[in-house]
Amino acid sequence: MPINGNADPGQLTRYAPTMASLDTEALTLPSVKVLQVIYEIDDSVMADLLPPALHPTIPPTLHVIGLRADDGPLGAFTLAVVRVGCRAAVRPRGLPTRAVCTAGDAAAALEQRWGFPITVGEPVLRERYDRQSIEVNDGNVAVLSAQLIDPVPIGNGDLLYTAGMHIATVERERESKPWLVQVDPEFEVSRADRGQAQIDAFDSVFWDAPDLRPVYPIVASYTTANITLPRIRYICDPMQPAISGTVAL
Amino acid sequence: MRFGIFYEISVPRPWENDIEHTVYHRCLEQVRLADEMGFHSVWAVEHHFLEEYSHCSAPELFLTACAMQTKQIRVGHGIVVCVPQFNHPIRAAERAAVLDILSDGRLEFGTGRSATWTELGGMDANPDETKETWDEYTRTIPQMWTNERYGYEGRAFRMPTRAVLPKPYQKPHPPMWVAVSSPGTEIDAAERGMGSLGLTFGGFAEQEEKVQRYRSIIRNCEPAGAFVNERVATVNFLYCHPDNETGIKTGSRLTGSFGYLAAQLLPVREVHPTRSYPNPGLLAATRQQAAQNPGEGVSAPEGVCIGNPDRLVEEIKKWESCGVDQINFLLNALETIPQEEVLESLRLFGEEVMPHFADDKPATTSQPREAAAAAAGGD
Repeated sequence: MPINGNADPGQLTRYAPTMASLDTEALTLPSVKVLQVIYEIDDSVMADLLPPALHPTIPPTLHVIGLRADDGPLGAFTLAVVRVGCRAAVRPRGLPTRAVCTAGDAAAALEQRWGFPITVGEPVLRERYDRQSIEVNDGNVAVLSAQLIDPVPIGNGDLLYTAGMHIATVERERESKPWLVQVDPEFEVSRADRGQAQIDAFDSVFWDAPDLRPVYPIVASYTTANITLPRIRYICDPMQPAISGTVAL
Repeated sequence: MRFGIFYEISVPRPWENDIEHTVYHRCLEQVRLADEMGFHSVWAVEHHFLEEYSHCSAPELFLTACAMQTKQIRVGHGIVVCVPQFNHPIRAAERAAVLDILSDGRLEFGTGRSATWTELGGMDANPDETKETWDEYTRTIPQMWTNERYGYEGRAFRMPTRAVLPKPYQKPHPPMWVAVSSPGTEIDAAERGMGSLGLTFGGFAEQEEKVQRYRSIIRNCEPAGAFVNERVATVNFLYCHPDNETGIKTGSRLTGSFGYLAAQLLPVREVHPTRSYPNPGLLAATRQQAAQNPGEGVSAPEGVCIGNPDRLVEEIKKWESCGVDQINFLLNALETIPQEEVLESLRLFGEEVMPHFADDKPATTSQPREAAAAAAGGD
């Protein structure tokens, strides 16, 4: 059977939030800019990055996501997320290892309502005609610099965004323990570009993905989309295969 | 209605103790039995890098072994990947011709283009280009087979005039097929006068609609080859057991394992947005299959050929009424079903299900080569 992750969920919760409630209302963010840069990663650590509930994709992948909302119910904010591509049983998913968000309502909401592993910082999403980029610094050191180069328009329906499995400490039935929280936003895309993927800086320690090495660019996309963050419908025990460990709320 | 068997050659981990050798030889044993039981054809995919799901990267070699160990059964490339980074078109034409000669004219030639980033990325092929290159291959390979010498200046490749040798044993050439997984590819097949080699597990209504579309378009086709191969094949699972509940339960393990493995791969569409791949193709369909049928229930999804002979006859009659000419069966995945049970299932199917269906005589070595091609679907 496919390879399972072998990371101890306790080791994956360094930046994971505690969610006091899973009763989250859906929320739509209008006209969000979304940059996604996808790379293949070194396969020697692919199982170490995921809990036993999840399988690495073949080949293993990294999703770098930069997102900027200039307005909306959570105000203006910029978010950078690093995810490991995976499967929850047969479903395509991504496991965020860490996210950096500008301070404000958005950081708190994304962390507490949807379980993003948020650190407050200053990610910058830049839009140029010849490229789009997401950059994150830790002090004076660039810990992430990823770009889409030479954008060309593609169909709005050509893109597929995979849902996230966000590891969070969840208080449930008088017990507090790590769960994988399924976050499957809906994207209503109004404009989409595709281009060459390039990562110039990636500090795997900062992103809590030790030894993760992006090795082969796949593709990058840049879209404008209305994103609806969903109600939480499913959680999954990170120690059990998702096919048996998933709980409907 | 004709029946074939279809191989991905799924090999479970751990890959030790000669497991690949064991699985390959089990497949060959199944093929020998299928030949005895009167199955029309054995098909083998071409896949690369698809861990556990398919270790069938050199189907022409596997099919040559099949041909050498059997008498009647036809051998089907299902499919040759028509992308230059995988197969140069001249090499594809040459290898197919040799296989046709060695099998005494039993080759079916399937064409396709791969649907996973796992494979296309691994071969450094551009997913945007595969439809175009496939199209060029389907028009040029028959020319290489039927002209003494052939030269070409095209988009995907060029060649000064040369004699591509040897020529196929079947005249004018083996029947040609197109792998149909994305919606609309059946139209591509029909427009080129090629057989529709279905690779998804759709229901009856979906299939019937596809068949009708195919039949109406192929009437006015411009054949890519020297003749029209108007045939519609679909893929299915097979587990036949005297007890219906046991058959469905065991067969569900097979369908569940297959779908679960398929879902681990990386379809092009998931990581590389492109109009060239409007949907994930085979992988999505099998995933849906697995989700519907995780292996624990005792009800079989519509049209899936698992259960006792009566149930299978009933389901196949429905496929027949949809206009399907041939069903190709997957027999195992991950060695989920022990070899003896796979062989028993094949025997039971051959003895109790196949006699209910009209038998188009398979091409044989004693038939004239032109007749062999015609019997295989050519006209």
